[in-house]
Amino acid sequence: MWPHGRRDAGDGLDIPIRNREYPGLARRLPLDDALSGLFDVIEELSTLMINAAEGTNQATGAAQTTGATGITSTTARRPFAEVARENLDRLYGYCLHLSRDRMDAEDLLQDALIRAMRAYDGLRDQEAVKTWLFTVATNCARDRWRARGREPGSVPLDASDPDDEFSLFATIAIEDPFPYSDTLHLDFLRLFEDEDIQAVFTTMTPAFRAPILLTTIHGFSCKEATAILQIPLGTLLSRLHRGRKQLERGLWEYAVRRRLVTVSEEP
Amino acid sequence: MIDCPEAVRRMWAYLDAALDPGPTEELEVHLGACKRCCGELEFSRELRGIVAATNSPVLSDELRSRVEHLLGTGHAREADR
Repeated sequence: MWPHGRRDAGDGLDIPIRNREYPGLARRLPLDDALSGLFDVIEELSTLMINAAEGTNQATGAAQTTGATGITSTTARRPFAEVARENLDRLYGYCLHLSRDRMDAEDLLQDALIRAMRAYDGLRDQEAVKTWLFTVATNCARDRWRARGREPGSVPLDASDPDDEFSLFATIAIEDPFPYSDTLHLDFLRLFEDEDIQAVFTTMTPAFRAPILLTTIHGFSCKEATAILQIPLGTLLSRLHRGRKQLERGLWEYAVRRRLVTVSEEP
Repeated sequence: MIDCPEAVRRMWAYLDAALDPGPTEELEVHLGACKRCCGELEFSRELRGIVAATNSPVLSDELRSRVEHLLGTGHAREADR
């Protein structure tokens, strides 16, 4: 049974297709128009299904925002191309950090933009557009990992983690790679260029990598990151910690492997 | 008082200002008495700063052109409505 339509007295169907001029009002359609309009309804339902996954709602012509006061405000809807261009560089950076290489990142960016474009009408809170775009990109990345049979949490998330007890701070102090330095730890960190950090990111478990990318590089609050990743705050904080430990071990192993530091024995 | 592993566990959340007041106070009490964890906190702050300063890469001209084409297609759809 069609969920939104019902048979009328033989002359047509009442289908609550969104009225472009008067949003929220259903149109009464003659049968021929109704049949041709079924494609619109299917598109609407597809959008709703995507919106459900991205955390958006059915839109009207303008965006409605409910702030901390509970008062609903209305802001003008901006064209998708405008908001996409505004966030394009950061979104690409996020895609690149989530991906294996540039080609993978470019595909992910385009997937995310296409999905976001289709669902944009459903975004109610225009002020949350950046958070929403990153949510869409995260979901696209998750779908791609699953399609490859590599879940984001391929390392058991709740199991004990050998990296958990690793301390880069302590390791540098023990190994003492710069014996004549008074700023041993800072000297170690200064070894790393952007591409080195990126290389280490690619070795991290995606579920631990994404919280660090969102909060530390892209400036989202922990609350916003929980919304993007769709996880509770406690889980986010735990993954931030484990991600940080993976990052620390990754930096040390990268430095040893690339001979940026000299140690007596590889870990 | 919390021990050193627990203090380290809370450090990035502390630097992110994401810790609740109770755990924050416990951490600060620990830091007041533990020189090693003060060093670890300072190192965490520097490491976090380096990660935060990682530049966003620039789109290649070819990718930007593809994206503009894609956005142009979307713009056409919006104009049709």
